[in-house]
Amino acid sequence: MKPLGLAVRLLWRDSRAGELTILFLALLIAVTSSTAIALFSDRLERTMTDQTAEFLAADMVITSHATIPESWLEKATQLNLAQAQTAEFSSILIEHDELLLAGIKAASANYPLRGFLKTTTSDYLAETIEHQGPEPGFAWVEKRILSALKLNLGDPITVGEKKLVVSKIITYEPDKQGDIYSLSPRVMINKQDLQATGVIQPGSHVHYFFQFSGESSQLTEFKRWLKPQLNLAQRILDIHEDRPELGSALDRAERYLGLSSIVVIIISGVAIAMATRRYTERHLDATAILRCLGCKQRDVLWLFVSQFLILGLLTSALGCALGWFVQEMLFKLLRNLLPQSVANPGWLAVFLGLITGMTILIGFALPPLLRLKRVSPARVLRRDLEPLPTSAWLVYGLAFGIVGVLIWQYTEDLNMTVTIFCAGLVLLLILGLLIYLILILARRSLPIMPLNWRFGLQGLLRNNRATISQILAFTITLVAMALSFTVRSDLIENWHKQLPERAPNHFALNIFPEQLPTLQTDFKEQGIEGSQFYPVIRGRLTEINDVTVQKIVSKDSQGESATHRELSLTWTENLPEDNKIISGTWWSPEKKGEVSVEQKLAESLKINLGDQLLFIIGGQQLTATVSSIRSLQWDTMKPNFYMIFSPGTLESFPGTFLTSFYLPDSKKTYLNQLVKKYPAVTVLEVDLILKQFKTILTQLTEAINYLLYFALMSGFTVLFSAIYSTLDNRIYESALLRTFGANRSLLRKTHIIEFTLLGLVSGVLAAIISEGLLFALYSKALNMDYHPTLYLWIALPLIGAFAVGLAGCWGVRHVANIPPLRVLRDS
Amino acid sequence: MQTQQSRNIIVTENLGKSVKTSNGTLHILSDINLLVTFGESIAIAGESGSGKSTLISLLAGLDTPTAGSISLNGKSLTSMDEDGRAAMRNQLVGFVFQSFQLLQGLTALENVMLPLELRGDKTAKSAAVALLERVGLSERLTHTPRQLSGGEQQRVALARAFVSKPAILFADEPTGNLDSKTGAKIIELLFELNLENNATLILVTHDQTLANRCQRIIRLDAGRMV
Repeated sequence: MKPLGLAVRLLWRDSRAGELTILFLALLIAVTSSTAIALFSDRLERTMTDQTAEFLAADMVITSHATIPESWLEKATQLNLAQAQTAEFSSILIEHDELLLAGIKAASANYPLRGFLKTTTSDYLAETIEHQGPEPGFAWVEKRILSALKLNLGDPITVGEKKLVVSKIITYEPDKQGDIYSLSPRVMINKQDLQATGVIQPGSHVHYFFQFSGESSQLTEFKRWLKPQLNLAQRILDIHEDRPELGSALDRAERYLGLSSIVVIIISGVAIAMATRRYTERHLDATAILRCLGCKQRDVLWLFVSQFLILGLLTSALGCALGWFVQEMLFKLLRNLLPQSVANPGWLAVFLGLITGMTILIGFALPPLLRLKRVSPARVLRRDLEPLPTSAWLVYGLAFGIVGVLIWQYTEDLNMTVTIFCAGLVLLLILGLLIYLILILARRSLPIMPLNWRFGLQGLLRNNRATISQILAFTITLVAMALSFTVRSDLIENWHKQLPERAPNHFALNIFPEQLPTLQTDFKEQGIEGSQFYPVIRGRLTEINDVTVQKIVSKDSQGESATHRELSLTWTENLPEDNKIISGTWWSPEKKGEVSVEQKLAESLKINLGDQLLFIIGGQQLTATVSSIRSLQWDTMKPNFYMIFSPGTLESFPGTFLTSFYLPDSKKTYLNQLVKKYPAVTVLEVDLILKQFKTILTQLTEAINYLLYFALMSGFTVLFSAIYSTLDNRIYESALLRTFGANRSLLRKTHIIEFTLLGLVSGVLAAIISEGLLFALYSKALNMDYHPTLYLWIALPLIGAFAVGLAGCWGVRHVANIPPLRVLRDS
Repeated sequence: MQTQQSRNIIVTENLGKSVKTSNGTLHILSDINLLVTFGESIAIAGESGSGKSTLISLLAGLDTPTAGSISLNGKSLTSMDEDGRAAMRNQLVGFVFQSFQLLQGLTALENVMLPLELRGDKTAKSAAVALLERVGLSERLTHTPRQLSGGEQQRVALARAFVSKPAILFADEPTGNLDSKTGAKIIELLFELNLENNATLILVTHDQTLANRCQRIIRLDAGRMV
């Protein structure tokens, strides 16, 4: 026997006869969409990471209070990592009898490795993008320095002992961040001038930033090599660790992209399973003939499996090519939103698409196909000899296994995988039971139904097994579409809520208590909307339950960093907006000596409710009891605090006030008045960072919208093809009814009732399942607030009834028009 | 005795087939004892439901009996597994069915080539072309079953049955789906080919005239030979 030749021939004939169209379409959709999503999310993620890396001006940064060993830099060179260095320190500048504390930054030639600087030479000229800092001998300064020190461009400025020429006004610096109290107006100089300033002396307070960028694998290796060698004063920063507000937005977007892939795979898997079932049923006779002619069972199986493998490979290859094309189109559509340079698509993602295609095909098509192995050769004489169905354990087990592995592979998140998997399993069992009950109920109500309803219902009741699997398939498809839609809407709404139109874009720090009333009046007069004014007292956490904190924390953790610097402590009567109590209770007004701790810091420092924390504030000790643990949203651009004390605890310590406020571009000049009137107040302008952050969120939103359209499109296509794969029996039975005299109108009504009911029931069940899955997803995987989604309860049954009804009626429309004999003969 | 046995191509002893139903055991065939010699032609006749199709499917190794034994060409079918029976069918047996049973996806030529291809025979194509010419379909080689009339389809089925030079041909109501004129032509062709191939013929039919053309008639009633 030459099975491959015969397989190719049978495949070719089947494809020409249209037997493989549904299977081909389902697989093509699965591979195209999973490749497109994999490619798209891979590219988007790398583009976004590149873009967010701008906030660090590099992919990875080592901060240190002293220069780092030469061998570290050599290792980075070996790993082909690009390098730059900056050194930051505060220095008093004196010009024209004016004094100003400035933040000096000495930058090496390659700075910034990621992102860019922006400068201008006048208020009226557009900003210029700069890819490196000032040349030796020159200084770029923030505009406030010019006004405060009565300087003009071209004037000399003395930094330490070095005289430099002010050549440009610096308007944007990508990595301006860190402890906001250390922020004073910027003077940027070249690193070559650093020595000459004479500021760097043993014991002087300088922060060094060693920046690196390059391939992520090399960076990971460098990080792994470096970590054990870091001393307590050295830290590694990267985008996920250092910018939690961006990190969480990106993480959620990545999870959504993963979810979209899973959605499309599940939908397509269902369609492939249904299409293969139809294929199997239509090939029972041919298999019986082959068996009758002496084809062995394993040859029969190999004959069909090899056809599927050939079909799978060809379709997957085509799907990969189409997926590539689709993601290129998506990037073209989004080009106005995306940064100029977009990361190149990765070949690995294409290969992954191919593997995904073959895996889905094997997982979903093999079990129904195995049925062909059991076809009795005696079927050539008695057509009613049906082969035993493949074991349900094998059918569902293999499909579930494959879906589980794919979910895990896409999300790289065991938590999310287990959540989806367990919830899905439990809900499927409940679902199966519910469908069974509905069918029993329907059967009981048959005698009281009018004729067309009875025929319609009988269509569903005739084969319970097939009806249950169809309802299951439609339900899963609808659930997948609903999940995709709802999660996307909530994700975007969540982002919008975090950054509303008039989100605070400036911080005012160092406001002395005596300035507070006048400043508040000024804000009111100017119509400036601000958040609450928080008192700020600087203090250091030293002991937890009489144990020194350094003994508790692990090196390089968030807690470790918190113990090495002074924290901003505050007190307030009411829980700040966006903060949420995770455990414990918020205090009543008269309570004193209590503290509420931020959740992640509490975890890192192993702080529990009731623990006694000892703080050193300005040389004095303060003990407070932990009364609550709070979660807070880092991405709101409002003042956030790790430690909030109950009123009456901190009042005796000297402190200043802090607020954030929204200032539109048109009112930007007010800042000059503000700084003049309150010279001690530091104003931190985060509007540029905020704009950049908003742009990133807009890009993510758009990208996610396109992915949703994609998931919905594949959902509907697959839904339609799935219905088509169930039509053979219905067409045959309708033809029979016609031979007995059923008129077209009766048939049409019967079909409408049958398909609409099928869709309606699937829709109702889909609403139940979606609600359950959304709850699990939000609370376990996406860390978002769960709200019941009422519209799903209305939309899903309606969409189900309409889509399944329409597709079904369309599929059987010919039955009413062609002679029944032809249908019966063809069958 | 040895000579007598070797002349018998089909031997059945107390052959029976029963199925369990909710109302107890249903005996479809009971106590069938049959000796068929090489080259013999036998008609199996009986009413609908008398067990004709079951008998033919047991004799051809398409199904397994629940009682008794069958040997084909001296080898026990009952002791073979499904793959063994498949190999036996491929080497020894040809089929013609009432409903033609052609593979819809393949052309006339490909359908006829199939038994030889399954055997790995390199001459499949030339043998198939020759036989299709013999049944008068040399112009229809590339046509698919849908493009052929009922009579033409049954000719293709005949060509497919004889292309592997079977020792036994099983024919199940070969004219049942054809008009009488076409049916008669097909029967002529069947007997001619059978003679040319010196094959043993087991023919299931309702048609008394057709049954009479065979050397022996076996009648079945309620699953028993009468």
